[in-house]
Amino acid sequence: MHEEYSAIAASKHSIRNTIPARRGLITDRNGEILAANMPAQRVVADGSHIKDKAALVAEIAAPYLGIPVAELTERLAQPTNKYNVITPNLEEDKAIALKKELDKKGLRGLYFYPNSVRTYPNASILSHVLGFMSRKNPSDEVLVGVDGIERSMEQQLHGEDGFRHIEHDRAGRELVVYRGQEKAPRHGSNVELTIDMALQSILEAELENAYRELKPDTAIGIIADPKTGEILAMSNRPTFDPNNLNEAKPDEMKNRAIMDMVEPGSTFKIVVASGALNEHTVTEKTEVYCEGGRFLYGGRILKDHHGYGNMTVEQILIKSSNIGSAKMALMMGDDKYYEYVRRFGFGERTGVALPGEIPGLVHPPARWDKLTITRMAMGHSVAVTPLQMVMGMSVIANGGKLMKPQIVHSIKDEDGQEVYRFQPEVMRQVIPESTAHFIAKALAGVCDDGGTATLARVNGFDVAGKTGTAQKVNPKGGYMEGKYVVSFLGFMPAQDPRFVCLIMIDNAKISSGLNYGGLVAAPIFSRVAEKTARYLDLVPTAPSMLPIAFSEPSSRKVTQ
Amino acid sequence: MSTNRRKEVNQIQLGPLFKWLTLAVMIGGCGLLFVYVKNQQHTLGQETRKVELQMREVRAYNEVLLAKISQLSSRPALQRKLEQTMVALVPIQDNSIARLVPPVTVGSDGLLRTAANERFRP
Repeated sequence: MHEEYSAIAASKHSIRNTIPARRGLITDRNGEILAANMPAQRVVADGSHIKDKAALVAEIAAPYLGIPVAELTERLAQPTNKYNVITPNLEEDKAIALKKELDKKGLRGLYFYPNSVRTYPNASILSHVLGFMSRKNPSDEVLVGVDGIERSMEQQLHGEDGFRHIEHDRAGRELVVYRGQEKAPRHGSNVELTIDMALQSILEAELENAYRELKPDTAIGIIADPKTGEILAMSNRPTFDPNNLNEAKPDEMKNRAIMDMVEPGSTFKIVVASGALNEHTVTEKTEVYCEGGRFLYGGRILKDHHGYGNMTVEQILIKSSNIGSAKMALMMGDDKYYEYVRRFGFGERTGVALPGEIPGLVHPPARWDKLTITRMAMGHSVAVTPLQMVMGMSVIANGGKLMKPQIVHSIKDEDGQEVYRFQPEVMRQVIPESTAHFIAKALAGVCDDGGTATLARVNGFDVAGKTGTAQKVNPKGGYMEGKYVVSFLGFMPAQDPRFVCLIMIDNAKISSGLNYGGLVAAPIFSRVAEKTARYLDLVPTAPSMLPIAFSEPSSRKVTQ
Repeated sequence: MSTNRRKEVNQIQLGPLFKWLTLAVMIGGCGLLFVYVKNQQHTLGQETRKVELQMREVRAYNEVLLAKISQLSSRPALQRKLEQTMVALVPIQDNSIARLVPPVTVGSDGLLRTAANERFRP
């Protein structure tokens, strides 16, 4: 009997107080804060303590809580409700002031529990990568990361709440002398991304301009380091502000760089060229007859933009010949070509630490029809993610290695000490270094006079890259008339690449005669690459294309 | 008066009295000491609680400031500030940049750098 009543008595006075763990920060590679915590207080009313003083408490609390007095009085006047959440996130300074005010008047019934609001200082910049937080279930009080890094690094970020068993007097005040068992919280680790906010801002600004001027359905940009696989910038349009989720539409919240499948178009020709060279199906000097621009195969005519005759592999890439690419694929054969497509990482998830990545769609040869191989060689009949394209081009830029893309650089504890650093990971050697260098040289020619991407050039640097123009796939089957996904995928400097950059514009609202990767995406790439080179302080590798202008100091007279 | 009559005197027995008094004082003293210590404990507990609260407030305030600093120094905020204060910062135009192909042997790494970005270098 005694034990029974002492247990009841203990439950009346003893409670387990949770000490919340602080969520870790997310920073860029230079320590710039991208996601922070704004301390707040959850205000809870205990109706049994307020009793008949609801009106009085409401009058004092209303200005702090921003709730009309009448409404607050009604909410507080619930004597049977012992846990009535009035507001989940009251700003810290307001909460402290309100608490003091209530103490001064000797009023009780409103209780304050520490909480925090996740804030994203850069608003919509990098929002798709950072993600956001929400409740798993509507009844949950605790928020968890549900998208982006907030979700993929949830385990590292959230930490572990502590607790303390306390006893309180009849007025609800803690009796410190009767403190029981106690465990300190383990605060969440800070996550440092590979993102460089300076490069991210460059990419965001250019993509925003393009999105405003060209009014495309979507626009995607990625900058990565080909040697390490680190993603330096990743941007999507449309975008959203994670601080204001109520106004965000589901369509805006999608990280299209890893969740959208697109037909890559001519940028995919690097796969067939690399494969054919590596398998010795062709050599650097082999000439492929391009049928004068019209190639009848499988009962269909495959066309080039211009009628070409014999062309080397290099020329096929520079001129972006569909027929030349198709013929190289045919020479390789279905199985070998498919093997190279897969070795370049297409058809499988890259493994980037972001949730929701899709593998793309690469059918095995058993499901191909006669035309598939010729279509796939020029980037049709295959669906890839923009990130896969970037990693595929990195293979050419880094000497033939397929790198695992990295978005998280390191994990740091709350004192800033590095706990874990993610190392670059080579997935496989796709092609030998010599083949990669040959393709890179050919891709540098794409931006030279006579290539398809002269507008991608950057003054003072050799740019290598490939344009892509693919008709938009109709979800109901077939292609959409007059709608194109155009892209430019390149790296710079061509001799020793420091970054790979993809610009992809989906259905720009311009004349279809102008809607080509070389005309729409290449100039955006050029601007991004120019600014990136300045930021990275790259040493110019090519003579300047523009005349050097010197100012005339003599025009300014010095007087004493 | 009989000489053999015993003289009846109710003398106060100081020994036991002192003993009991001492005992009572000791018990009373212990009680008072107990209450005093209890009060001290309670007061110290209240002070501990107050200090803990202050520490929590300072930490929270620190975090508020950190969040505010990161907000005020964020790129959109700086951009807004730039527009508001009309600071005449414009990107350097391409025709204002003289590009030189640097000699191969400049610097320890063989590169001539106009503005080295040390943070990014491996």
